[in-house]
Amino acid sequence: MTSTPHEPRATASASSPAEETLRLVASLPAPDGLEDRVNAALSAEQNRDRVLGRSRVLAWPRAIRPESSWMRTAAAAAIVFVVAGGGWGVYTRVEQNQPAKVIVIPARMPAPGGFSGAGAMRTPLTLPGPAAPQPVKAKTAQTKAAKKPAARAKTTSNASGRSSAAGATGSSGEGSTRPDASK
Amino acid sequence: MSTSQAIVAGWMESPTSAVNDEARRRAEDEALAALVDQYAGALYRVAYSVLRNQADAEDAVQEAFVRVLRHRDSLGEVRDHRVWLIRIVWNIVLDRKRRAKTRPETDDVSELARVLPSTGLSAEEIAAAAQHHAHVLACVDQLPAKERQVLMLSAFEELTSVEIAAVLGISESSVRSRLFRARNLMAGLLDHERSLR
Repeated sequence: MTSTPHEPRATASASSPAEETLRLVASLPAPDGLEDRVNAALSAEQNRDRVLGRSRVLAWPRAIRPESSWMRTAAAAAIVFVVAGGGWGVYTRVEQNQPAKVIVIPARMPAPGGFSGAGAMRTPLTLPGPAAPQPVKAKTAQTKAAKKPAARAKTTSNASGRSSAAGATGSSGEGSTRPDASK
Repeated sequence: MSTSQAIVAGWMESPTSAVNDEARRRAEDEALAALVDQYAGALYRVAYSVLRNQADAEDAVQEAFVRVLRHRDSLGEVRDHRVWLIRIVWNIVLDRKRRAKTRPETDDVSELARVLPSTGLSAEEIAAAAQHHAHVLACVDQLPAKERQVLMLSAFEELTSVEIAAVLGISESSVRSRLFRARNLMAGLLDHERSLR
């Protein structure tokens, strides 16, 4: 029956005890009354199914039990339509940019029976601040003068000349005024 | 009405026919009973060849038919009921064998001595034969699973290599190559046992 064409004879003869034993076991008759016991088990299983209604996962109600396949198809299409429509409805209603969530911190409650702060706000102690800066214009004039020493020399010489001339005139003036004063 | 006609009448109904539930259920029951009458013995032998215990084999047959009962709606598509049923019971017994704890060899010997044909044999001869068969079966158990399964199924004269391939879900060439390997391995195991003695 299942002998192979390329089977060596030595192997077949050596394994014959094994196959003989297996054939012997395989040809053992079934015990008497096996069919009756199996039929009894089947009828018991059927009765249990009928009582518990376990023959299907979801049984159709007896009044609307579909006898043909088109009704099942229509029912399946209706279920698909409802599910898809519901999903689409949810999708269209949900806003794309939702506002950021704000975390509300609850106000601190005063200690029961204790004193309240009466709305006073605590002002923290501040350290002494930095020194006030110097005036900016004076600083800039000094720096300009420091930057141009030649110009400063010129200006100083002119100023001394003017002061001498002024001194001469002044002296003359003094002289002129003095007579007036003497007068 | 023959068995095959009953099976066809029970399960090959077109879904559009307006047969009421009771009549259809009765037809299915008759078809299932016909299957039980026809194939329960073969299924039992298959189960017994693996489990080697009468009660376990009978339980496996019942479980196989209960599975058939639960899937009876799709039975009209089954071409060969015999191979299909053998495949169901084969899977059941392999599952049970996997889950069961290893039984001592003495159980096999006593069970074989009880069930083997003993006409014209003395008690000592029966015991010796049972011992020999149990020893051979222990060697079969040492084979790799794939080779062992093919070798066990090949012992059933009613199963061709094509049907064995259908039961195991493999190709016919795989059945032949596995059978070849199984026979070689068995020869080696038996020679080794003989040399030890």
